Amino acid sequence: MTDAAIYETPTTREVRLQDGAGTLRLGALVYAGIAIVVLLLAATAGIRVIPNLFDLLRGILLARYTGAADTALALVFLMTLVNVSAFLILMVGVTARELWALPALWLLVGLNVAALALLGYTPSLVAIVIAAWAGVQLGRDMRAFRVNPVMLKELRGRMRGVRAFLVLSVYLGLMSSFSMLLYLIYNSLTRASGSAAAGEVGRVLFMGVVGIELLLIIFIAPAFTAGAITGERERQTYDLLRTTLLASPTFVIGKLESALGYILLLLLAGIPLQSLAFIFGGVSEIELILSFVILMVTAVALGTVGIYFSALLQRTLSASVRSYTVIVATMFIGPFVTSIVIDFIIRLLFESGSPLVSPLLETILRYANLLVTSANPITAALNTQALLIERQAVGFWSFTLSSDGSTIPMISPWVLYTIIYLVVSALLVVLAVRRTHQTEF
Amino acid sequence: MYSEQTARVELQPMVDLIIETRDLVKKFGKFTAVDGLSLEVPVGSIYGFVGPNGAGKTTTMRMLTTLTRPTSGEAWVAGHSVTDEPRAVRRSIGYMPDEFGVYDDMRVWEYLDFFAACYDIPENERKRLIVDLLELVDLSHRRDDMVDKLSRGMKQRLSLARTLAHDPAVLILDEPASGLDPRARVEIRELLVELARMGKTIFFSTHILADVSEICTHIGIIEEGQIIAQGSMDAMRSQMQPHREITVTVRDADAAEVVRSLVTPIEGVVSTADLEPKGGRHRVRIDYIGDDDGVASINRALTAANIAVLGFVEETRDLEAMFMRVTKGIVS
Ligand SMILES: Nc1ncnc2c1ncn2[C@@H]1O[C@H](COP(=O)(O)OP(=O)(O)O)[C@@H](O)[C@H]1O
Ligand SMILES: [Mg+2]
Repeated sequence: MTDAAIYETPTTREVRLQDGAGTLRLGALVYAGIAIVVLLLAATAGIRVIPNLFDLLRGILLARYTGAADTALALVFLMTLVNVSAFLILMVGVTARELWALPALWLLVGLNVAALALLGYTPSLVAIVIAAWAGVQLGRDMRAFRVNPVMLKELRGRMRGVRAFLVLSVYLGLMSSFSMLLYLIYNSLTRASGSAAAGEVGRVLFMGVVGIELLLIIFIAPAFTAGAITGERERQTYDLLRTTLLASPTFVIGKLESALGYILLLLLAGIPLQSLAFIFGGVSEIELILSFVILMVTAVALGTVGIYFSALLQRTLSASVRSYTVIVATMFIGPFVTSIVIDFIIRLLFESGSPLVSPLLETILRYANLLVTSANPITAALNTQALLIERQAVGFWSFTLSSDGSTIPMISPWVLYTIIYLVVSALLVVLAVRRTHQTEF
Repeated sequence: MYSEQTARVELQPMVDLIIETRDLVKKFGKFTAVDGLSLEVPVGSIYGFVGPNGAGKTTTMRMLTTLTRPTSGEAWVAGHSVTDEPRAVRRSIGYMPDEFGVYDDMRVWEYLDFFAACYDIPENERKRLIVDLLELVDLSHRRDDMVDKLSRGMKQRLSLARTLAHDPAVLILDEPASGLDPRARVEIRELLVELARMGKTIFFSTHILADVSEICTHIGIIEEGQIIAQGSMDAMRSQMQPHREITVTVRDADAAEVVRSLVTPIEGVVSTADLEPKGGRHRVRIDYIGDDDGVASINRALTAANIAVLGFVEETRDLEAMFMRVTKGIVS
């Protein structure tokens, strides 16, 4: 941070929090290292220069897993990434002195113990040691953790009086009428064409509601957060905050939490509407849960992009413009264009039945396709749903290569989507905190 | 840091200063807003930081409150360096900027609660604290009102209460009385005196001299980023005192002539002048440098010469005149 930190004599509590956060950062770094190593090993194993490397690695890293050896390695990779993002988020949470930080820390320990016991995920030993150590360090001063004052202030303001009630009512009203409309349109269409499968109606309703919610999140999440810091600057309240002892992580996290809290409320309020689809059938509970996860991760990702630019720039307007530009370019247009290109190449190569394509090239193309599909919430959601319906696959599934008929492990896009954006969000929050921490020169 | 601090203590072992700056400079590009400022604010003082608009008062205060980094020079607040120990400085100050926003979607008590939480005051202590603070600034009856419904004077008092949330040693207030109506100004002034009595040092800026003369124990005058006079009010007054203006009123022109010829030879009399007769009476103005005894002896000399003196008045030099004299020629 700034050079000031070198001179300042911190309180015992500050030292303890710094130490705890330092330990957690170490955890994130260690797991980032492990993830890279695992990725390299997987690549080595994939080109099959060393025979039985997959089996060997499964034996070491995920001994209790009974599925295919290559799937095991993919699983190890993902669990490692989950640990990276978990450590990053906890680090930020600890520096912000969030109430949830300590329980979440022990939850991480518990999950890693479970992964070790059930799957034999040996890398979790590192997480257990590091997280438990941080937990012990921080547990000595439980009172350091408290309700985030910024979040409390923001929520108080946002939830006050008729405004919040009106917003919620209008939102639900619009959603209900939209669902109604969808239902009527769909009904009349199917009646005209003959058969009307109730399941189809349910699915259309469900997708309609999720679609609207996604749209809503895309619009409001960056809007809420892009003004979070610039708004304080513009209202001339920022200087007051900066002369208090409020730490920048607390400020940034508080703003993010209040925005996300509001979005969470909207999403929860929308669940009954989504559940209407159950009446018609055709939608499973797992779809409901996964859609919720994707929506919430989208909100987190978009919210942190907004926060980041709010910390970086001086004006709310420019922060909003930059946030939307970056979001549209990197989360929508970029992945969309790339996926069309990749799709085109794949089709060109395989549908002509060309025997010249090597399985390696195809593997790379398929994974690249998975990656870009998972970078975009819309394709991620649609592909996740398609997988659920066609293959009943929630997580892993095997993809049969067209080139030589062998299989590679594939994963449902929502998993990758969640992990990618949680890591990106955590990094953006760290950057935003750094930016707010710097004093004006 | 420690070596610097001990060095400072050795240099000035006797004065107990809560704010001290040494050759403080702040440049914005080529423009020098604060130009080698050395301030000394003693513990427990009410220090008026006076200067015209654009003199660099706000910039100085922003450096003292760790909001802006000095270009060069050093500053300490409560013994902590503003550049090296910003958190320690923040712990010991309560700051009220010249222009500040209040959140429009908060109640009065929530506003204080929020800032108290920002100062890490535990929740169970905050309730009691808010009651006390509101009582102090006389806003108890507005506890549940929305902040943006308060009048400007009330907002200012609320803001003052906010600066007190963490019981800081020194309050840094930027133009606390500007934009207030006379009544609200008096209230703020009384509040400052009350706070000083509670042991707080108050360092406030103003471009209105009346604020200073009424309540300040110390004063520093800043012009174009430089301190041009600084010290206790008493010292400042007596520094100005030697130069006096005495107006003597007599019945007619002859008497006035006698007075002039009589006092001119007296040591310390710089000049004399006839003023416009007023109400048929003639007046003589005597410019005199000397102490109270000297003034008394002039009076005695006139009486001894049997002149019918109708009035013998020494013009009181108010701060305004002092200010004008000190800043004369520096700024138009
Ligand atoms: N951020 C800034 N950038 C450029 N110039 C500034 C800035 N802040 C203040 N100034 C200039 O510095 C001078 C001193 O300003 P200020 O400290 O606000 O004076 P005061 O508070 O005494 O009225 C003014 O001429 C002002 O225009
Ligand atoms: Mg000013």
